[in-house]
Amino acid sequence: MSLLAVTESICPVCLRRIDARRVAEGDEVFLIKHCPEHGEFKTIIWRGLTTYQRWLERGSRTATPPVAETTVRQGCPYDCGLCPDHRQQSCCVLLEVTQRCNLRCPVCFADAGSADRNDDPSLEEIETWAEGLRAHGSPINIQLSGGEPTVRDDLPTIIERIRSRGFGFVQINTNGIRLAKETGYARTLAGAGLDCAFLQFDGVNDATYERVRGARLLEIKRQAIQNCAEAGLAIVLVPTLVPNVNIGEIGTIIDFALAHVPAVRAVHFQPISYFGRYPTSPVDAQRITLPEVMTEIERQTSGRIRVEDFGPGTSEHALCSFVGKFEIDGAGRLHSARRTACCSTAQAQDRETNAGCGCGKPSDDASPSRRVVAQRWAATTRQPDNRMPVAGADVSSFDAFLAARGHTFSISGMAFQDAWTLDLERLRECFIHVVSADRRVIPFCAHNLTSMSGESLYRASALAEA
Amino acid sequence: MNTNAPVETELLCAACRQPLVLGKVKASYLGSSFEVDLPRCPGCGFVYVSEALAQGKMLQVEQALEDK
Repeated sequence: MSLLAVTESICPVCLRRIDARRVAEGDEVFLIKHCPEHGEFKTIIWRGLTTYQRWLERGSRTATPPVAETTVRQGCPYDCGLCPDHRQQSCCVLLEVTQRCNLRCPVCFADAGSADRNDDPSLEEIETWAEGLRAHGSPINIQLSGGEPTVRDDLPTIIERIRSRGFGFVQINTNGIRLAKETGYARTLAGAGLDCAFLQFDGVNDATYERVRGARLLEIKRQAIQNCAEAGLAIVLVPTLVPNVNIGEIGTIIDFALAHVPAVRAVHFQPISYFGRYPTSPVDAQRITLPEVMTEIERQTSGRIRVEDFGPGTSEHALCSFVGKFEIDGAGRLHSARRTACCSTAQAQDRETNAGCGCGKPSDDASPSRRVVAQRWAATTRQPDNRMPVAGADVSSFDAFLAARGHTFSISGMAFQDAWTLDLERLRECFIHVVSADRRVIPFCAHNLTSMSGESLYRASALAEA
Repeated sequence: MNTNAPVETELLCAACRQPLVLGKVKASYLGSSFEVDLPRCPGCGFVYVSEALAQGKMLQVEQALEDK
């Protein structure tokens, strides 16, 4: 056993802050901590010492948030808002526009289930959140989340209002049910200014969906993807990885995504973490760590994608994520940006900007809804809108060009922290934040944190029983 | 039937009040040119690009060219 780092965490029982250590045993890294009242907790956080060391070689990329809404009183993680001790600015901010949902997922970390329509924040309140975020200066990507955001009928208006405040990238975190079932809905959201669907996508067979989401959803996912593609919405597939459920589908999910490029821009894996009530601590066999996900990607793609194609994200804590960027050529072959970057690792790093949070934001910020294309082409002129295609018009030369070009594609993963794995060094560098009901800006893993009895630090009520 | 006859569309040129006809148009952007058939005014040469085309395939082509 060897000590790798000294950090801090919380007790999973009483949520008090306690000292913690990252310790290597063989090839595995554990977080070990001791509560004077509730004893020792030892939890696997990284299976693979080589990548652990390679990831930390990147070093910290801290940046002071431009606005601190709270002061330091009790210290991390109790003063979020953000507090002056936070070490990273907001990259992607979640707005929970409802707590209602049209599914009852066993794995959900949002408090979705018992809420009703009257609990939804008003449109004016959501606008107030957006207004508050503008003070944070740097470009912030907005993710509309919940609950299931599409259960709100005014979602297009919410998107428009956020857009009108200058936010350049808006995505929804969705199960895809309404996108699949309601004709024209994807186009409506795209027309309102939505860029991307961050689509829960746990596998390619219904047995997986029944276990993870409690419903047979594969056909829904396929239809949602088709509808988004036709509406010009980018799609990021987001599998929640659960040991003994869908780890064996990692390669199949990637193949499915590649078959739907360019509409599908990325796959963003999220190993399961544990929120809600747990009478006993989850055992290590119930956890899959990021290096294992990368190893499984290599194994299940027969080496087409390799562990060496991945690196840590750019500005979050190195241990929170992995990112790989790829080019897909006209023949459908994958080319790793890292492997094709020759001697220039800096170049590879530059190409990964903003990819760590998994959002589908393109590097050149080329959003269809913010651009007037016709003005930029020679020999074209604008006329009043007419969405009906003109019979006989032939744009096959565009099709041929698009078919022959390459596309970019990214594969990433992010390890959310729960009461057992929480490392305050990582939390302080978190760049995915949530606007809470009382308008504070809370790092994602603090916002969702619950004790073993389901007590929440930041959510208004304890989570539904998992 | 004369297949070379210009195909009139239901679109009218706002300036010339003439029906637009389908015809070869050379669309150029960043040094690349594409021959496409689009409605154009036989009078003033005005070309109609639907919003769906502008925000669909043309946008994709534009982004691809900008990436190079």
